[in-house]
Amino acid sequence: MSDLDRQIEQLKRCEPLKESEVKALCLKAMEILVEESNVQRVDAPVTICGDIHGQFYDMKELFRVGGDCPKTKYLFLGDFVDRGYSSVETFLLLLALKVRYPDRITLIRGNHESRQITQVYGFYDECLRKYGSANVWRYCTDIFDYLSLSALIENKVFSVHGGLSPAILTLDQIRTIDRKQEVPHDGAMCELLWSDPEETVDGWGLSPRGAGYLFGGSVLTSFNHSNNIDYICRAHQLVMEGYKWMFNNQIVTVWSAPNYCYRCGNVAAILELDENLNKQFQVFDAAPQESRGAPAKKPAPDYFL
Amino acid sequence: MGQQEKSPANSNPMQRVKVYYLNDDGKWDDQGTGDVSVDYLEKSEDLGLFVFDAEDNETLLMHRIRAEDIYRKQEDSIIAWKDPDYATELALSFQEPAGCSYIWDHLSSVQRNLQFSAINGNTFQSMNSDLRELPTIELASLPLLHKMVIESGIADQMRLTELLLHDQDFFRKLMELFRVCEDLENLEGLHMIYRIIKGIILLNSPQIFEKIFGDELIMDIIGSLEYDPEVSQVQHHRNFLKEHVVFKEEIPIKDSIVLSKIHQTYRVGYLQDVILTRVLDEATIGNLKSIIHSNNAVVVSLLKDDSTFIQELFARLKSPTTSSDSKKNLVYFLHDFCNLSKSLPMVQQLRLFRDLVNEGIFDILKDALHSRDNRLVLTGTDILILFLNQDPNLLRSYVVRPEGIPLLGLLVEGMITDFGDDMHCQFLEILRSLLDSHTLSGQSGSIIEIFYEKHLGQLIDVIITSCPSGGTPSYASKSSGSLGVKLPKNTKPEILSNICELLCFCVMHHPYRIKCNLLLTNFLDKVLLLLHRREKYLVVAAVRFIRTVLSRHDEHLIFHIIRNNLLKPIIDAFLKNGNRYNLLNSTVLDLFEYIRKENMKLLIIYIVNSFWKDLVKFEHLESLQAFKVKFEQSQDSSGSKSTGNISDPRRRIDERALEKEEEAYFNEDSDEEDTASASLSCPEKTQPQPVRSNGVSPSSQPISKSRGLVDYEDDEDDGDYRPPPRKQPEATDEDGGAMETFMLKRKPARERETEMMKKQRLNKNPKSKDSVFAALCSTLSQAVLPVEKGSKSARPSSPKEGNPNKSSGDKEGQSGDKEGRLAEAASSGSPPDNSRPEEKTRNEEPSSHRSCSDSLQMTSSDSTRQMMAEEIPLVPSPPKSSPEMALNGSSLEI
Repeated sequence: MSDLDRQIEQLKRCEPLKESEVKALCLKAMEILVEESNVQRVDAPVTICGDIHGQFYDMKELFRVGGDCPKTKYLFLGDFVDRGYSSVETFLLLLALKVRYPDRITLIRGNHESRQITQVYGFYDECLRKYGSANVWRYCTDIFDYLSLSALIENKVFSVHGGLSPAILTLDQIRTIDRKQEVPHDGAMCELLWSDPEETVDGWGLSPRGAGYLFGGSVLTSFNHSNNIDYICRAHQLVMEGYKWMFNNQIVTVWSAPNYCYRCGNVAAILELDENLNKQFQVFDAAPQESRGAPAKKPAPDYFL
Repeated sequence: MGQQEKSPANSNPMQRVKVYYLNDDGKWDDQGTGDVSVDYLEKSEDLGLFVFDAEDNETLLMHRIRAEDIYRKQEDSIIAWKDPDYATELALSFQEPAGCSYIWDHLSSVQRNLQFSAINGNTFQSMNSDLRELPTIELASLPLLHKMVIESGIADQMRLTELLLHDQDFFRKLMELFRVCEDLENLEGLHMIYRIIKGIILLNSPQIFEKIFGDELIMDIIGSLEYDPEVSQVQHHRNFLKEHVVFKEEIPIKDSIVLSKIHQTYRVGYLQDVILTRVLDEATIGNLKSIIHSNNAVVVSLLKDDSTFIQELFARLKSPTTSSDSKKNLVYFLHDFCNLSKSLPMVQQLRLFRDLVNEGIFDILKDALHSRDNRLVLTGTDILILFLNQDPNLLRSYVVRPEGIPLLGLLVEGMITDFGDDMHCQFLEILRSLLDSHTLSGQSGSIIEIFYEKHLGQLIDVIITSCPSGGTPSYASKSSGSLGVKLPKNTKPEILSNICELLCFCVMHHPYRIKCNLLLTNFLDKVLLLLHRREKYLVVAAVRFIRTVLSRHDEHLIFHIIRNNLLKPIIDAFLKNGNRYNLLNSTVLDLFEYIRKENMKLLIIYIVNSFWKDLVKFEHLESLQAFKVKFEQSQDSSGSKSTGNISDPRRRIDERALEKEEEAYFNEDSDEEDTASASLSCPEKTQPQPVRSNGVSPSSQPISKSRGLVDYEDDEDDGDYRPPPRKQPEATDEDGGAMETFMLKRKPARERETEMMKKQRLNKNPKSKDSVFAALCSTLSQAVLPVEKGSKSARPSSPKEGNPNKSSGDKEGQSGDKEGRLAEAASSGSPPDNSRPEEKTRNEEPSSHRSCSDSLQMTSSDSTRQMMAEEIPLVPSPPKSSPEMALNGSSLEI
């Protein structure tokens, strides 16, 4: 069994890797991700997953429902970290799978894959707590910069974490974004990761999030038409039913963190597309309590203070 | 934290609230501050909300909790409702979001009970009567106690808490019973005790915690939690804590309070992280964390005020007789000590750090960084980061002193040293903090000088030696040879990537200081050697470096780039990458876009003239089309200008003279380029032109073709390729001109002659007929009518183009301003700056109690205030009148 396979097994038990292993993994991932495009081509069949947010055992539940990774091909729409208890293990497992099976799993960037955001919403603190220093956080956030921004499935389904940007009328315009940077506060890259569709908005509207825009049906229709795509698949917003169509099936939100923050009481969903792009949503609940293993983590056995 | 200290000693910050009434004018009246609780109303079975002001001994609010749904929770810290008794809107604004959710949970469950008992009669009344007193603690009464703890509703829970606190002997007796059960191996009893203790912990009463986590009881409590009925195997927590955990005490701590707190902190942390991870709710975790937090603060502040302790610590650290193992441990201790000091209020922490600096902590860390023990070195850097987060000038002012200078060297060396498997990205972060121009204070500015004089060359040398065709390093030998840094041949790519990142940072932060190095020592060229590395992320990093340099809008640098044909290796890398749509492709296209959008005419002309015949293969890419259009526009505008201000003719003539020289350079370079790139592009010619296969949606192409990104009025350009004039009229201002002459002087006259010959040769080139004509036109228009300025400033699409009429000083001011903005964006990418992590630790709770939406903080220099305000609900509540706004504002004042 290779080191990588062993690490994947270890991560599947929700045991974090050693710093040195994280470092090696990140460097390998970097070489793979640098070859990906801002609009990453993905062939069907593929299973699309929304936000995970460090809910490790719920992600295992996702794999149980959707099938194991190399067997099923996956596209994750970002927001792997923050809020849940196990952002480190969650992200590292996805990253290890990416390195092990680069063609069987695609990871694109969410608005939480950012230095600024992770310092507020938990990933930074979790790294500090689990490793005693911020180094793992530094490596992971460096990798975030390399993650692709969107995916295009069989030229027909455009997938992105947040939504559209007024600066992006054609998919080709995404090409000229130098994505290797912290998610900016404005501009196309920011908006792809932050925007939301909104029924009550006509055209573009201000987003209450303070970044990105709200966009309405007319924007969607013209985007989908001019890029000749069937619909947009995105994540970024909690939907209690796990998925939600809007604007006459022009856009669907997929949310994959059941009982979000361990208290929202929502179900989660993944979207399975077969080779003919037929859609099948799989809805699932939070992992049952007993499947959540005993905490593997013991604190350092010696202390000064 | 500061507020908390001011409040009366017996008051819990979780309970602190402000009470507001909505007055007739629709404004919120502040009724005062007090402690909120849920309690029985006098002579009643009903529960109510009470707010009591302990200082004035006054009840601010008494409200009977109602079953109807009248309560709203706003933000994280406000509970509001329309009160039928007061006949107005009331609101409680909490100091701590944790307190707010605690009371909110209580409120909700009281409501539930009310609604439930309305249906089910008196079930709960009967339970209440059982709760008059606790049963005597004996084996036989365990089931009753179990029932009381497990099955009590919220009202009963409060009563239960009270009873538990009043009975002095309860826990001692319960733990005696636990030991008996353990001796008898009475598993049923043990399971019951487990559930009782778990239930009691979940009552989340700080007073109960104080009792059960005391030295006397805590090990038994932990023991009782080993018998989780849901886990098949008995856990051995006590064994781990007693046998495996080592309390390291390099310097004996005499104060028994400190010792007791240290142990308690570890055990409570263990309880929270290991024993009860899956059991605790957020409110309880919040309270446990605040125990740990305040313990840490007590420990650090007692130790720091113990002068004998600190003196002994540093004496041992400095003494030559201390063993190296012991010294290591002392450094590890220092790390913990500094780390825990985050629990102190900001001011005290800063004072502590200053004291440690005065004791000579940096000398100690310098020694630590000298060590060959990776862990020790990295611990040293972790401590340095703690200091930098507190105040970078502490370390800066040390590093510029004679005894401190070697530390800077060690840090640079650390950055370029291979630490094997260990992570050492801290070095980059430390250097960045030290060199950060935004936090630089006057006296410590010379650190920049030291860095540039001694260390910049070192970094460049690493690049040179580790890139193919790099040649021999020349800088270290010149500038820092005395340091004797070994330059390994096979530098790890991550180190090179870190160097490149630091260099970008330097360009952003010290544009004027670094300019000399960029120009005079050609180090720009050296960085570009990275383009030859196999690792694509290094290639991309080098492109980004050039992009960063261009973002300075510095004409000298642009001249330099053009004169030395520095974009050639980038274009080559782009061509070699072919139709692959990857990060390199995007980064180079982004560079083109940037040049185009910023209307950097010199570069546009340089690129099109020198590289278009290769780039034309990629013409189908929107951004290259637009680039070409831009080029043609610039040709048009320079050819057809006819009006403008008449400026000082003498100056014009001078400029013309300079431009001619400049033109000579330009021609030389592009001429060489023409031949070079032509030969190089041969293998590329076989490649198919369209990139359909790779990311460009075929259907999107017609659209992108029909409508470019540019929407200038003169967009109707036919798009025919017209070779441009070989010069850029407006590019010279006095400053730039001076630089040019300066450069010229360094070239022997003979070379200039060759250039002239080359130029003539160029004119024989068949395609350059138009070019000559165009050049003539533009020269004429320049010579006769100095129009460029007027038309340029009138053109809104190029706001960043500096007006050449302005003095160079003015210009620097402008770009300095830009630096601020760009650097801000760049620094948001840097690791935690001063405020963030501290804000977080001082503010433990908010993150866990926030709602589930998120938003982006728009400024990085925010504070708690913004962190609280940032969570805007997904569906914003309909805009109401000012009351809520006023309330939100005032909630912060508590």
